[in-house]
Amino acid sequence: MLVRALYLSAIWFALSLFATLILGARLRRRDSGLSLLWLGAVILIGNLVATFTFGRFFEIFGLSFFAFVFGLFWIVRLKDWNVFGQVTWAMTLITTGLFVFYTSLLTAFSPLNPLSFIFALIFFALEAITLLMALAHMHESLDVVCRIRWHRLVEKLEPVPGYMPMVSLQVPAYNEPIEVVQKTLYSLAKLNYPNYEVLVVDNNTPLQETWRPLEEICRELGPQFHCLHLDQWPGYKSGALNFAVTQTDPNAEIIGIIDADYEVDPDFLRELVPAFADPQVAFVQTPQDYSDHHGDIFSESTYRGYKYFFEVSMPSRNERNAIIFAGTMGLIRKSVLEEIGGWDEWCITEDAEASLRILKRGYQSLYINRAFGSGLMPFNFEGLKKQRFRWCFGGIQLLKKHWEALMPWAHWVDPENKLTQAQRYYYLVGGLGWFSDVFNLLFAFFLVLGALFNLLSSPVQIRPLTDTILIIPAVFLLLHILRFLWVLRNRLKVSLGMAVATMYNFFSLGWAVTLACIQGLVQREGVFLRTPKSQTSSKAWRAIQVTQWETAIGLLCMLSGLLAFGSDQNWRTFSLCILLFWQGSLYVAAPLYSLLSLNNQAPLEVPVMDQGRPVLEELAARWVVAICMFLIAAFSLIAFLPAPTNLPDYVRFLPIDLSPQEPELVNSEPEATATPAASLTTPIATVTVESANCRARPRGGAERITILYRGQELEIVGRNDDVINPWWYVKIPDTNDHCWLWGMTATMTGSMEDIPIR
Amino acid sequence: MQPKIKPEVTPLLEEVQRLVQRGEREKAYQSSLRATSLAPDEPLAWYLRAQAAPSTEEQLMCLSRAYSLDSTAADTKKELRTAIHGLLKQEPFLAYVHETEEFYQVRSGRDLLINIPKNRVFERPYLRKARGLAEPAFRWLTLSLLALFLGGVGAVLLAPFTAFQALRLQTVSGSRSDRIRLWIVFSLSVIIWLISIPISWLFLIRFYP
Repeated sequence: MLVRALYLSAIWFALSLFATLILGARLRRRDSGLSLLWLGAVILIGNLVATFTFGRFFEIFGLSFFAFVFGLFWIVRLKDWNVFGQVTWAMTLITTGLFVFYTSLLTAFSPLNPLSFIFALIFFALEAITLLMALAHMHESLDVVCRIRWHRLVEKLEPVPGYMPMVSLQVPAYNEPIEVVQKTLYSLAKLNYPNYEVLVVDNNTPLQETWRPLEEICRELGPQFHCLHLDQWPGYKSGALNFAVTQTDPNAEIIGIIDADYEVDPDFLRELVPAFADPQVAFVQTPQDYSDHHGDIFSESTYRGYKYFFEVSMPSRNERNAIIFAGTMGLIRKSVLEEIGGWDEWCITEDAEASLRILKRGYQSLYINRAFGSGLMPFNFEGLKKQRFRWCFGGIQLLKKHWEALMPWAHWVDPENKLTQAQRYYYLVGGLGWFSDVFNLLFAFFLVLGALFNLLSSPVQIRPLTDTILIIPAVFLLLHILRFLWVLRNRLKVSLGMAVATMYNFFSLGWAVTLACIQGLVQREGVFLRTPKSQTSSKAWRAIQVTQWETAIGLLCMLSGLLAFGSDQNWRTFSLCILLFWQGSLYVAAPLYSLLSLNNQAPLEVPVMDQGRPVLEELAARWVVAICMFLIAAFSLIAFLPAPTNLPDYVRFLPIDLSPQEPELVNSEPEATATPAASLTTPIATVTVESANCRARPRGGAERITILYRGQELEIVGRNDDVINPWWYVKIPDTNDHCWLWGMTATMTGSMEDIPIR
Repeated sequence: MQPKIKPEVTPLLEEVQRLVQRGEREKAYQSSLRATSLAPDEPLAWYLRAQAAPSTEEQLMCLSRAYSLDSTAADTKKELRTAIHGLLKQEPFLAYVHETEEFYQVRSGRDLLINIPKNRVFERPYLRKARGLAEPAFRWLTLSLLALFLGGVGAVLLAPFTAFQALRLQTVSGSRSDRIRLWIVFSLSVIIWLISIPISWLFLIRFYP
């Protein structure tokens, strides 16, 4: 029943999602009648498919009733979404819930040895967390595309007459090329706002020739421009910014942070400052934009990758007052910054960390989705990789520091913590979301291992590879990829090709994110990634070298998939091969993007901020290698440990798999082939598990007559009256005795029609 | 608490104030030198000496000293800021020397040691935060959770131990937050224990199928 319910809900999920992909962004109104009608239609269409394939009327009715009530609940809850978003969300939840329940039963009752069971348990936990993360992504996507009513969306702030508080704009700089900072400062000099100062804070730039010209430029631009060089300053960017607060004009009420490579729109302050007329508003953030994308795949997809956060995540977070301060192109109230104790010098992403502490005090934040300036992106893949490593590392640091403030019991422990449930959710998911790439690598590893053990004919099972376990995750994967492409196309207004390129750009950084997650967990203080040094002058070779790990992982995935399918060609190894190719492509994308970025000539060498201690990629990867080695050793041990000699009684609790071929099997005619007629007309059961009990009656607890072993072929002389949970009455070889063999432990060849029911 | 001014210095300080008001800076400076040598821990003496100081460098040094002795004096803070501002206009170089909860100590490009007020509440850096009372209980809870994935058997043993730890620490905990934390640890360990029973049963039957 569970499996049938799972397939039915998967049909509902697929149906509702496909409709959302086509119409979800177009329907801009909400109607309760329409919502009910669409919910009923999705359920009905799914039921029709189910009835004509594997369905049983009462089961379908029961599940449909539950789905309808559940859908109704979400229609009422999600009043600001259109009907497509509401129904898709309800169906996603049902399918995910059923699949998690299915895998939990599979984990609990599969015939495994104790070590396999431990691995199955860990694998199940990973799988459940990954599915929860996928749910979070689905929610975010539907929230921004299917939302028809925004409560906190501000297109343009109304000016407040007479409200022109003093603003101190701080420009942190470290080893920046003077031409870049000059452009930034010139753009700041043109700001259309009467009451501001600019403080250029250069920290730790070693050479006087690099920072001294800043002093000259500030003098040239007038008395409201100030320059400061901080030497041997601790705390990196946040340390410098904390000091800068001491040097701001005492009359300044607002502080703005502008990265040294940003050219700012003259209306930046005039448009944003009115937000601070509300004393509850603590900070305002605008999107970061970039000017150096030239139409090539690397820079365009990188550009869209950055935009994703500001077009999808931030609007969704803004609806719940849960945005982050993104470090540049944002304004923050000085008194609030002083109240929270300034920027955290321990955290690499001090901006996001400060926003959490501000929201914790109950202040408001505001996101204005209009870019007021543009900066420079990392011009090659190496720079992008280092930057992503830094962001992720900071995200993990934030999680480590504030995990308790994000827990459901946070209010009890700290009554001053004013974070709402939604704010806690967004910050928690934001931090945990980084681990998706770790899980992705683990899954790739499990798949490679599965392929290799298959190749060596050494069956290591942590879970029986049922049809459902191959089909449903594939459906999830496909639907979530489509959903990702859909949200990219809709929010970023890009072609399908560019959406695919952007998606791969995201995934190609998975290795860097994985390393950062692990480093974030094991390291106390900030580190930055140092890619391998090149001994060659060849740019192409250098591009490959900085992605050597990704290349190796990607090729290993693809090769093992090919070998598994080549050695044993069946649909399961084919599925495995496809999955491994997909996983491999995510990693192989890294060297491709690295090579593509060769076309980008950096107009000026803009360094990616390296904060903290350097960590060599090889050293960071040692943790991953160690985990892999441990898993290989443990898996090898499983292979040597004996599997259960008998089919244990507890397997009767296993959800019976529903083979999609079964209904056809019942009606199929024996095919005419060149093989002897007897082998076609005589149904044969072949044992597929290490050993199976053959029993006196067709049920788990019945008396055992004999034990059958893997590969043994037995003539089927009868069956029970249950096509979903079949038991074969087989003739024991070399005797005249018979016994019952459970269908899950054997494959059947021949026509089911010819087998008499006993 | 502001320490009382030494009685022998009071007339001297009043004299400096008078002389500064009259514009007799040289005489005021001589008197302030005597005042700071008589009472080197008196912030007002340093503040008044800064008023009469003949150079920007000395003015900064005196204000800086005055501020380090009394970080609550608003006038000192304000004048120190103006003086630093003036200095940085001429030479923007500052090297880090040291910092306290209230000020940075820096060395300027002209080799002056200056104390600069921080102007913000002090937040203890995360890594230097003291361990909470509930931390050992949380550590046991983490172990119980990990043991849950190792077949559940470990959690059957560790979870009660965690609960016991939480209850034991309850008796010594002082703060309300810690008591709540410990109750949460207790509740979670009970939940883990309840989950661990079926899991360990499923694990153990693998040995006796």
